[in-house]
Amino acid sequence: MTEARQYGELATQLVTESRRSTQTDTLLKYNDSLVRSLLREQRSLESALSTLLIDGHAPPPALLIIQTAINRNKRCLLAYHAHRTDRLRDMYWAAGGALPHVLGNQETRAKMSPYEVDYLRAYHASVMEFRAEFAYELDITASIVDPPKDLQVLVRVVRDCGMIQTELGVIDFQKGQRFMVRRADIEHLIVQGYLEEV
Amino acid sequence: MDWDEEYELIKSGRAVPQAGPSFAARDDDEDNIFNDDNGRASNARQQRTPAPAPAQPDREPDFYPEEAEQNTPLEQLTRHWLNERHAPDILPAQEDLLMNLLDHLRRQSEAVQLLREDPSTSEEEHMRIMLVQTEVERVKFIVRSYVRTRLFKIERYARFIVTNADIQTRLTAAERDHASRHAKLTDQHFYVSVLQGLPEKQSHLDDTPLFVPPMITEPDKSRPVFVHARQRCPRIRLPDGATLDMEKGHISLMPYAIVEELVARGDVELI
Repeated sequence: MTEARQYGELATQLVTESRRSTQTDTLLKYNDSLVRSLLREQRSLESALSTLLIDGHAPPPALLIIQTAINRNKRCLLAYHAHRTDRLRDMYWAAGGALPHVLGNQETRAKMSPYEVDYLRAYHASVMEFRAEFAYELDITASIVDPPKDLQVLVRVVRDCGMIQTELGVIDFQKGQRFMVRRADIEHLIVQGYLEEV
Repeated sequence: MDWDEEYELIKSGRAVPQAGPSFAARDDDEDNIFNDDNGRASNARQQRTPAPAPAQPDREPDFYPEEAEQNTPLEQLTRHWLNERHAPDILPAQEDLLMNLLDHLRRQSEAVQLLREDPSTSEEEHMRIMLVQTEVERVKFIVRSYVRTRLFKIERYARFIVTNADIQTRLTAAERDHASRHAKLTDQHFYVSVLQGLPEKQSHLDDTPLFVPPMITEPDKSRPVFVHARQRCPRIRLPDGATLDMEKGHISLMPYAIVEELVARGDVELI
């Protein structure tokens, strides 16, 4: 079975997944089995390589083919992981830097590998450290999609989010209610899907 | 004009701040540039500069002299922000400018807070306070976008930054820290998810096979950018050997590497 396969076929599958993820703009499930079989392929290629190297002889041409396959597979593996971490970081920023919001989503969580969860946690810590530089003046994790046009915004509560400190005092946002509030106070709640602009 | 000065004027009722005509004009501009040919875009740009004047005929003529307007901290920041967004490379950090602006923002917010709580503040003043607050939010937006643009590039080139001393001089201390943390984090993630499963000979991140792009992502300075000359520029040499003299207001599309110096000197801006 393995014999019939061409070098690099698995890696192509992996890269195709990344491309599909970009085209559909979704995070696909981490393909653990494919990554594992690629790692196995790498190990068998490496041992094939070492049997070809015999002391005192000129290296056979097959060596070049195998070496190329090894390099390509490795780059594809790394590209797959780099693409996923890019996506995860995009999701993180789209949620306004709210890590619990990203990790709390069961659907997303199920698609991530345990290493990726660790990665995102460490990334969050790093961003928080950077954010602390500006903490007094502004929150750099807030949205940068549309420049604010109004100070106040009329919002509808989509999900209960409890007591929130605003300019008008503490407001208890309950589902179905509408409020006219200062945008800066509740922007993160809009981003996280608790409130909706009317 | 200085922020405090502007604020004083607003307070004394001699000027009503606009909720941000500069940004709106910018947006329209960008659309024009990408949709139209160069000629029309440059026309639009030339028309734009004097445009605010007829909108406020009651304003004293030397109130916003054109040159001074180009050099308010906000104008400077807006220019750096656009440059940063369009340049493939990371530009020098504008730490002083940013810190000054943030200080102003903080002082303004505090003044606004005081005035709001003062019961003797009139209805009209409340209206003005609201406009000031809106402007503060809009400036914050630009600062945020500027910082985040840099952050995005820093993360993208993190592994390059830690090995290159030249680019490090263009970053703030906080940005440098973030870059090294990020480079370490990326390496770590690659190691645990891929490299540790590979045979010893393959488990490095610094391969240099032939005909393959390097493993460390570097800024691609050959990327084309739109350049707008802010003043007459010294002659530049294009990749095909031709030379180009840019007059004030000239707009061209060319590789970033050619205008890198001019951008750094502020002779041109990227649009």
